[in-house]
Amino acid sequence: MLAYQLRMAAKSLRRNPVLSILMIGAVGLGIGVSTTFVTAHYILSMDPIPEKSSVLYYVEMDNWDPNRPWNDSDPTEAPNQITYRDMAGIMKSTIPTFQGGSFKASLYIHPEAKIGRPYKALGRMCFSDFFKLFDLPFEYGGGWDRQAEKGPDPVVVLDHETNQKLFGGENSVGRQVQIEDRHFKVVGVLKPWRPLPKFYDTHNSPFAEPEDIYLPFEFGRIFEVYSAGNTSNWKRYEGDSYQAFLDSESIWIQMWVQLDSAEQKEAYMDFLNAYVHTQKAVGRMQRPMNNKLFSVKEWLKEAEAVPEMATSLVVISLLFLVVCSLNLIGILLGKFLARAPEVSVRRAMGASRASVFFQHLVECEVVGLLGGLLGIFFSTLGLKWINSIFENLFESGLDANMLAVAVALALLSGLIAGLYPAWRICSIAPAAYLKEQ
Amino acid sequence: MLKMRRVCKIYRTDAIETHALNNIDLEVGAGEFVAVMGPSGCGKTTFLNVAGLLDSFERGTYELDGLDVSRLSDSEMSRIRNGKIGFVFQSFNLIPDLNVFDNVDVPLRYRGMGGKERREVIEQALHRVGLHARMKHHPSQLSGGQQQRVAVARALVGKPKLILADEPTGNLDSSMAEEIMALLAEIHRAGTTIIMVTHDPGLAAQAQRVVHLLDGQIVDALPSPDSFPGSATITTHA
Repeated sequence: MLAYQLRMAAKSLRRNPVLSILMIGAVGLGIGVSTTFVTAHYILSMDPIPEKSSVLYYVEMDNWDPNRPWNDSDPTEAPNQITYRDMAGIMKSTIPTFQGGSFKASLYIHPEAKIGRPYKALGRMCFSDFFKLFDLPFEYGGGWDRQAEKGPDPVVVLDHETNQKLFGGENSVGRQVQIEDRHFKVVGVLKPWRPLPKFYDTHNSPFAEPEDIYLPFEFGRIFEVYSAGNTSNWKRYEGDSYQAFLDSESIWIQMWVQLDSAEQKEAYMDFLNAYVHTQKAVGRMQRPMNNKLFSVKEWLKEAEAVPEMATSLVVISLLFLVVCSLNLIGILLGKFLARAPEVSVRRAMGASRASVFFQHLVECEVVGLLGGLLGIFFSTLGLKWINSIFENLFESGLDANMLAVAVALALLSGLIAGLYPAWRICSIAPAAYLKEQ
Repeated sequence: MLKMRRVCKIYRTDAIETHALNNIDLEVGAGEFVAVMGPSGCGKTTFLNVAGLLDSFERGTYELDGLDVSRLSDSEMSRIRNGKIGFVFQSFNLIPDLNVFDNVDVPLRYRGMGGKERREVIEQALHRVGLHARMKHHPSQLSGGQQQRVAVARALVGKPKLILADEPTGNLDSSMAEEIMALLAEIHRAGTTIIMVTHDPGLAAQAQRVVHLLDGQIVDALPSPDSFPGSATITTHA
């Protein structure tokens, strides 16, 4: 029977192609807009590191002004980065499986003359654990070891694009790259890696691309490089030397630890509390104890990585789909009621109200599905457009989940639009139309 | 085949009550051919709609083929219409988008019959009305008489016990009307009960019995020359 009803629906749509195109176009537009924003929200809300997100923790501690909280509107919030001296202090702990502070820096790469002119690149100053903490995928080589940090040895890890640019994508492990005024030995090349959101550093843009190069943290001191991200301070520091900056209360470092069990987490929190007590004893950190460990999901929520506007746009786009569906009701109602004589004949021939209702609902769902296909096309275009604006953020486009959402929305909109017209046409009194034809 | 007792059908508006059928008592035996005559607005079509379970009625009882159909659900009435009743309308009421085959197929679609069996009975029905060569034609490609023959095939295809025909020749010229009446007579001879509404005394004369309706009431019944005695009991409530 369903095949017959689908055939009748196709005949009905062919009967008035202009009206059918209008209906399918309306659903398509609604599905296109809503799927675009639902997909955007879905991508923004994805777990960027699902295999480890429950054991990675972002560290916060309150070194802020004793007289004024970090956030006036929420005094329970702690500063969202830590100082160099606190990073150095807490990295003495042996509790975390892996740990490390890092920051984003702007550095000049000097390629060979035949490759091109020096250019500014974004680097991440980090520790060897950085690569293990976040399971960075290597195409060639790997990260450096802890021993290399002591020198520090001039070693660098390149991202896929930089290796492509400097070495044509070849295995460049062992080759030299000049960064600022020093030559660094390439120890590793990353595969393409784009965590979404960029959870390990959300401070400038949670959806920015990862850095081009990764250097041992100590080169930050050697190059006297400041953060290319946010730096905040509540207290003027004495002198203008780099060392004075490192010793100051400036917060500019993102600190992550891996704690594999609840016991490990509890022990580390005890360690942080003990550390803060030692700092209070020397006159620092005079605010109430406020150490925090955020899991990846908690941190993304805390950092508001998914902008509220994205959620609002999803709601608005779904409302737009509802409006499109509601508009369809009028068109379908007119179309179906014009078919009352045919329906009356079918009723006389033995069609029950239920089968008439179902037949018309099938037609609405066919409109919904065709609109859904058009909507997927519109959504693909929409995501390409957004992608061109936001640094290839949505290059993955519609995945199977989002295609399923688009189809489900299409069926739902067909249902919303079709219920009332289908009910009206199945409720007609057939006797009234049989004589009139 | 059909037994109505004191059946009333009333149309109501805010101001007026119209008794479209007023205490109709009628019995039609199995295999009978009955013509229903009367002036316009006397309730002929309402009677046919009630008899065909297309319209409800307020009072009285109605038995169809031994089954009390007075208080059935919509799906039960639909099943009875589909299985026991065939309709032939004045304006043919073919579905314009469907070809001849698909038009005749309509009642079978609501019966859950398999594809092969459907095809066989449709072809038989179209063969019977002489249109098997035109299965792929659409109604607009047929003459009025041919369209009505398709409608007859559609009424016949489900092998109903009762055919209700509402002025089946009203839109046809006399030669085509004769064709259709011949077809109905043949169907009747094969054992199917036929109730036909008509204005035309000449056509009514071809039935076994004529029932006259006036203002929603059966006022008399003049058996036609070919009727067999005792097949109908008609009571008039003045």
